[in-house]
Amino acid sequence: MALDKYERVWLTAVGGLIGSFMAALMVAYLIFDIRLPTFEGRIDPANLSNTKFANLGVKKLSENNYEVVMLAKMWSFDVGKDGGNPGAPPVVRIPKGSRVTFYVTSLDVTHGVYVEDHSINLEIVPGQIARQSIPFNRPGEFRIICNQYCGTAHQAMYGTIVVE
Amino acid sequence: MQLTQSQPKSSAVNTQDFAMLNSERWLVGLHILSAFFALFWGALMGPFQTFHRSPAFVAAFPNATMPIFSYYYQALTAHGVLNALFFTTMFITGISYYVTWRSFNRSLVGMPLAWVAYVLELVGLLLIFFVLLNDPQRSAVLFTFYPPLIAPPIFYIGLVLLVVGSWIGLLVVFLTYGAWRKENKTARIPLAPFGVMANYVMYFLASLGVAVEVLVLALPASLGLIQNTDPQLSRALFWFFGHPVVYFWLIPAYVSWYTMLPIQSGAKRVFSEPLAKVAFLMLMVFSVPTGIHHMFADPGISSTWKAIHTVFTLMVAVPSFMTAFNIGATLEIAGRNRGGKGLFGWMFTQKWTDPVVAAQLMGMLQFITGGVTGLINASAQINTVVHNTSWVPAHFHQTVGGAVAMTYIGIMYWLLPMIRGRALYSKKMALAQVYTWGFGMTMFGHTLGEAGLAGVPRRTLSGLSPYLSEAATYWLNANAVSGVILLISVILLYANIVLTLFASKEPVTEGGYTVTKGDPTTPAILERWGLWVGVAVFLAVLVWTIPFIDAINLTEGFQILRYSPAGPAPLK
Repeated sequence: MALDKYERVWLTAVGGLIGSFMAALMVAYLIFDIRLPTFEGRIDPANLSNTKFANLGVKKLSENNYEVVMLAKMWSFDVGKDGGNPGAPPVVRIPKGSRVTFYVTSLDVTHGVYVEDHSINLEIVPGQIARQSIPFNRPGEFRIICNQYCGTAHQAMYGTIVVE
Repeated sequence: MQLTQSQPKSSAVNTQDFAMLNSERWLVGLHILSAFFALFWGALMGPFQTFHRSPAFVAAFPNATMPIFSYYYQALTAHGVLNALFFTTMFITGISYYVTWRSFNRSLVGMPLAWVAYVLELVGLLLIFFVLLNDPQRSAVLFTFYPPLIAPPIFYIGLVLLVVGSWIGLLVVFLTYGAWRKENKTARIPLAPFGVMANYVMYFLASLGVAVEVLVLALPASLGLIQNTDPQLSRALFWFFGHPVVYFWLIPAYVSWYTMLPIQSGAKRVFSEPLAKVAFLMLMVFSVPTGIHHMFADPGISSTWKAIHTVFTLMVAVPSFMTAFNIGATLEIAGRNRGGKGLFGWMFTQKWTDPVVAAQLMGMLQFITGGVTGLINASAQINTVVHNTSWVPAHFHQTVGGAVAMTYIGIMYWLLPMIRGRALYSKKMALAQVYTWGFGMTMFGHTLGEAGLAGVPRRTLSGLSPYLSEAATYWLNANAVSGVILLISVILLYANIVLTLFASKEPVTEGGYTVTKGDPTTPAILERWGLWVGVAVFLAVLVWTIPFIDAINLTEGFQILRYSPAGPAPLK
């Protein structure tokens, strides 16, 4: 099986391309520490009272270091009293320059958490705790959007993060 | 119909001919027509979905509803199930029979089985129609049907019938290969059935995942035999199947590009047949160990296994790059045969006015953007930016809605006339269809991709979303314009099909496109199926066992209650 000259050049170039992509991903993973979500623990949505999700809301852990504990359910996000007006989509306030760790689980079906213009994207699978930590460096209002189909009113499921 | 009667009554088919035996005509024909029947309703929903996602459309026509499947998520479920599952599988079963039958130059072994398979797939299709029309809210679980969303049992039974039918079709192909092999001990397998067989091996392995998900988790939960379900395990089982299945759709298009397009375009033969076989085997081996790239954002899969599947996902791009070279070189030969000069002249001397060739060329052009966006999605960290946004459907409408659908349509433009025994009603109408589809789908991809980067989630009735940014609104409105173009294309497509079936008077003058001999220089090791099946199974076991064990949650996992998409109260 003889390889054509140009084909050999092409395959070498493809090998180099794929190889450099893999190297870039490894660099992002090992050096810049950009990690994908991984195990954070399991949870029974029917028994949240003795878990982290018994106290929903925004917690200040230290200077510029916050934690948001949030529940996703058909068809709203719940961050407890820290979300403002109970009947309305929640509004969370975070000082500019903070690093925020989100802990989210689902009360019912699969949901998603996506924040406009920020690198957070979580699949909220019932029975699992999802966690992601990201910095908020620019002031503004950013929507938290449910990006996994969760039934009839999925299109109206959102919240807001105000970075001040 | 004269052509049929002039055929000999023997089982051997004249492979260079565009005439058909009645047995072949009915078996292949009913598969192709049923596939395009499914596509009609599925594809018709698409443009209306773009309208209802557009805030401008919703503001202008607040009371507009969609035709037939009037509820948005019902239409979305129909669009996914009918297009991505039924159209593809029924078309692939039919074209696989055709390719096997003609390339091996012998009739199929197990014709009764092939008919049983057809009836199962057809009943499955009718059940899906029934449940979607009868129970729109509760059956709107989309074609991924992630538990704990649970649809009525008929939904799953329809899918089971489709998969069982496709397995029987696979069996017929391999029985026929076995019979051919006995008669041709040393010959190389012709390239087209080689691709079909590699496709079926990969598909069978992959479909075991979804079979376990439906039969052990979803269907029993739907019937009420079990009260609980495990969402993370279900997702892992689904994506064991869900990524390979996109290659199951793609490989028949590659079969057409590698074995039929060289004849259609004027190149006579493919540039390198051995490398085409290597590409098919690589797709067979590397398709299954990639599925976790659909679960990069899942909490119940470790980031280590996400990284390992990323490597395999990039590997599976290699056979597509090889295909790009091989087909590109073949087309260059075709273009030069037709008078193309210089470095780029051959591109302009392709048969751009022949709908069969033009459909495949437009499909390939879209596969460039589809492939590049696919590499972006596969890049684990970048995926965080686009995961579950409308960027993702933008991507796969370039691949499956572009390359795959256009190639299948291109095949239909020569196969339907053979089936009917009459020429295509209008080549001009077909050309207009091809270019409106190509332009419309490219615009669809670009606008929906931009919307995704502006934060629009996928599979969402965005026209009613209260949270859209200005950029998102703009791109969704532009997306609806592409929907108008695609609606025109769908109408042209089906007008031509109906007119060819009932109004065409001209005799068929082209078709067939079969090669019955394999390249004798192909290394024998490429045809040792036992070895390659072993490699595929080994890789699948290697990279899936631990993620499955991790995903199984015997304590909290199985306490997850079942829900209907219609409301927040658990199912009783």
